[in-house]
Amino acid sequence: MKFSKFFTVCMLHALLFFFIFTPGVWAKKPIVIGVPTSIGFLEGKECLKSVQLAVEEINEKGGVKVGNESRMLKVESLDIRDAAPGVPVPEALLGIEKLILEKKPTALVVGPFRSEALMAAMDIIAKYKVPLLGTIAMSPASEGKIKKNPEKYKYIFRLCLNAKYLVKYLAGTMGFINSQFGFNKVYIMNQDVAWARKTAEIVKKVYFDKAGWEVVGMESYPTGTSDFSSALMKVKAKGAQVILPIFDMPQSGILVKQWNAMKVPSLMAGFISPLAGPSAWKTFNKKIEGAINVNFEMGSAISSDKIPLSKTFVESYEKRWGKKLEAGHGPAPSYESVYLLAEAIERANSLDPDAIVEELEKTDRQGVMGRIKFDEGHQTVYDMDPDKAAVAAVVQWTDAGKRTIVFPPLIAEGKIKLPKGLAAVK
Amino acid sequence: MKKRKERIDRGIKARSGDIFALSSYREMMYLSAPRFVPIIGFLILPLLLGVYWQKVLLSVAVFALLAISWDILAQTGMVSLGQALFFGVGAYITGALNHYWGVPPFISIPLATIFGGIICTLMLLPVLRLRGIYFSMVTLIIPLMLVRVIEATKIFGGTEGLTGMTPLPSRWVEVYLVIGIMLVCLFGFRRMMDSDYGLVLRGICDNDRSVINAGINIYWYKTQALFIASSIGAFAGALMTHVYMFVGMPVFALDYSIFPIAAVVVGGPGTLAGATLGACLLVPLSEALRGFGGLRIVFYGIFLVVFTVAIPEGIFPYVQRKYNEFERWVEVDK
Amino acid sequence: MLIGTIIYALINSVILCLIAMGFNLTFGISGVANFAYGAFYILSAYTTWIMINSFHLPYFLSVIFSIIFTMALGALMYQVVLKRVRGQAISEVIATFAIGLSILELFRYFGFVGFEYNLPPFIDASVVIMGTYVDVQRIIIVIAGIILVLALWFFTHNTSLGLAFRGIAQDERTALTFGIDSDKIATLAVSIGAGFAAIAASVIIPLGTISPSDGYDILIKALAVCIIGGLGSTGGVIFASFLIGFAERFTDTFIGSHWTMIVSLAAILIVLIVKPSGLFGKQKELEERI
Repeated sequence: MKFSKFFTVCMLHALLFFFIFTPGVWAKKPIVIGVPTSIGFLEGKECLKSVQLAVEEINEKGGVKVGNESRMLKVESLDIRDAAPGVPVPEALLGIEKLILEKKPTALVVGPFRSEALMAAMDIIAKYKVPLLGTIAMSPASEGKIKKNPEKYKYIFRLCLNAKYLVKYLAGTMGFINSQFGFNKVYIMNQDVAWARKTAEIVKKVYFDKAGWEVVGMESYPTGTSDFSSALMKVKAKGAQVILPIFDMPQSGILVKQWNAMKVPSLMAGFISPLAGPSAWKTFNKKIEGAINVNFEMGSAISSDKIPLSKTFVESYEKRWGKKLEAGHGPAPSYESVYLLAEAIERANSLDPDAIVEELEKTDRQGVMGRIKFDEGHQTVYDMDPDKAAVAAVVQWTDAGKRTIVFPPLIAEGKIKLPKGLAAVK
Repeated sequence: MKKRKERIDRGIKARSGDIFALSSYREMMYLSAPRFVPIIGFLILPLLLGVYWQKVLLSVAVFALLAISWDILAQTGMVSLGQALFFGVGAYITGALNHYWGVPPFISIPLATIFGGIICTLMLLPVLRLRGIYFSMVTLIIPLMLVRVIEATKIFGGTEGLTGMTPLPSRWVEVYLVIGIMLVCLFGFRRMMDSDYGLVLRGICDNDRSVINAGINIYWYKTQALFIASSIGAFAGALMTHVYMFVGMPVFALDYSIFPIAAVVVGGPGTLAGATLGACLLVPLSEALRGFGGLRIVFYGIFLVVFTVAIPEGIFPYVQRKYNEFERWVEVDK
Repeated sequence: MLIGTIIYALINSVILCLIAMGFNLTFGISGVANFAYGAFYILSAYTTWIMINSFHLPYFLSVIFSIIFTMALGALMYQVVLKRVRGQAISEVIATFAIGLSILELFRYFGFVGFEYNLPPFIDASVVIMGTYVDVQRIIIVIAGIILVLALWFFTHNTSLGLAFRGIAQDERTALTFGIDSDKIATLAVSIGAGFAAIAASVIIPLGTISPSDGYDILIKALAVCIIGGLGSTGGVIFASFLIGFAERFTDTFIGSHWTMIVSLAAILIVLIVKPSGLFGKQKELEERI
């Protein structure tokens, strides 16, 4: 009995907390921005903080003008846990629905991690008519869905790189490597999730097969794989000069460590999430010299002198949160999405979702990632010139623990350097 | 002076329990209240709740079904750690039928219920002879394996799953369909477990060898129990597929295996009503805690621990005892 | 290629063996199902990390501290929770699983995610074995595995405490009549099992990074090895680790990384159906199937 009494007391306290912290009716109702995402993951955590940073900046300047009054922005976040393995999609959807129905947000930003969850969430978002500015999930399939039924799905936008543009960047990097060093044997390793698999397949189809490369191996790894020795041995045996990894799971750090420990004489060039941030140098014990990594958006844990806004963003993030940005995917577009939204609301001069969507479609903003514009699939256009479109950054780790942008050429800070034991063919 | 606690049936229980010619309203109320309160409650609730809590109610009913299915198996001596298998197979059958052949939900759901039951029973048939924790381990592993098979062979949409199922006509149909089925299962199977047939099933759990001694083929009975339980699970899965218009690998998630067990543990095993009660408490609790973000799962875990340790019999037997009996302190005879 | 695969398969097997050893000790030898095992594994890694980075202790001391801390926590869990549900297998499973869930999700909630959470290798170097590069950390793992297995074997066969462990496993009531305190033994079993998890984590985690999701994987791996080997059989666990370890690496190299998980899960299924007590299990046949 003692336990049940204790338990009742605990529950009562929990309930009390619940009521106290449920915000009451505010005098001037703020505009609510919902952030339903996987906050327990690095990218989700930093995206949320970037959104909060943007909201604070806007509020400091007096908020958003709607009609005659300026209204403050307010962030409501909810952990939908969709990135955690074993969490069913309906569970994530229920979270999004709860956020929409209870907090009544004007718009959602960031959104689900897994493309599977985004695809399933699109129907719910269409049902409730709440604009979503997604910044994590990357499968181009959602654009197809928008193009097929633009009236129904027009509420969904994407600011981050999608798999198609990632392919463009990867192909560009590979072409660059090929023209500089004459390498033409590649081993593709990717995580077995929709976006990574699609990216790998498309890179192979549209670039490697046409440009005369030899793909000596292509393998996809279930999320959670913790030993890459056999693949790395294959790389060595087949003489691949370049490894193209596409991973966003934390275990992919093992791949880097093993690549180093097994002294595989190949250039590692692709996307491995642990390599994106500045702390990777310490994490991997200074053993990542030569690794090349794509930071999906300019501003996400990387900044360039040529795009001043990206520098300001990275610095003000560090100042506000006391920690450096580490995620190479998400933070910059999350930050930008709040600004886009604020501008669209001011232009539309109302909170009506259809009006906001109409204004969002007209977006043309010079932001952290370069120039932001949407195409008809509501995807931000990425290209190589920051004055014409948004850009990503291909970064190489150099010997002093510094990161140099090596691609695209317009913002490059240096040339690709080959790791020890690998010589140019040309 | 030593005292001890004594429990005695209430008078009204003694009067109405054995004598079938009920003589007063009070007695009739006494007997019918525990049955009608949940029925009426479940029928009225959807009218009172908002859209979001209606969705929660839907989850309550779905998890109650899974918990009932788990409890039937457990009462037959088969402790399953893989309710997700039933749920997932049902979900995939209806998903495939609807996606590839355009079968409307009102045909695909019943088909998925029956064939889901048959397929799951066939899958588990080879391990029917296993007992105790060994049976549990097999059920834990099969759903994990199916996920990997789907991932590797890329059948049924692979990791992306199938989207764009036909939804049910309206949310009222969704809610009342699942609540109706849940109530039918609850009372129907409660009655079944009290019948002679149920006696055999429970006998298998208590002492399977003496049931064999009585000349009863326990494997045939176990197969039937398995079919019943897996059909219920498959129905839950099929329904959820049409509600969320999506089916994919997550339908085999561990949540669907752990949650029903937790519901039964909280509610009280062996009564089916306990399973339902457990789901009614746990699902809304888990929703209410959603505001705490990741901390919700932590609370949830602590809650489970406290429950298993403090009230191992579950809530339902406790409530039942309070309803039927009163307690008093009496002196211990010298 | 073949030699390389064999070398890495060997290492993989020892890793599996290390992971499963503690679980086997608690579940197999003293009959307590500790489903919080994966959480203890992760917990000890985080403890080491915190000791190094927040309290600036030397690496070696941090490891020792985290092992002792995890063992104490295991004993505490038995005394506070498990003691009250002892013998009810399902309650044990649910209570420990829920504790594990709470620990792992608590770390996630407090933001212990990211790539800075990792442990440095003991010795950061690589050596060449028969033409294949192997890092020293993996060799340390193999050595640690061998030492632990020998220590465990010696402990359960030659010390009176170890014999008491096995006595409880074989027949608890008879053991009680010999004056073996079953609660004390079970406390020790959970505690030592947790300590094994901590040791395994200390040597294995430096290969990668620490992440809460790994806790669940570790539990499933430990379960898989213990089921195939036969609950409570140390020899069985070693044999099963090698079976799964080799199967995984060879499918990875010669069939495809997709099938690694399926091969090991299928192995479990077949073993359970054909010989539910595991390949080396010694439990009584009638308990398992009729």
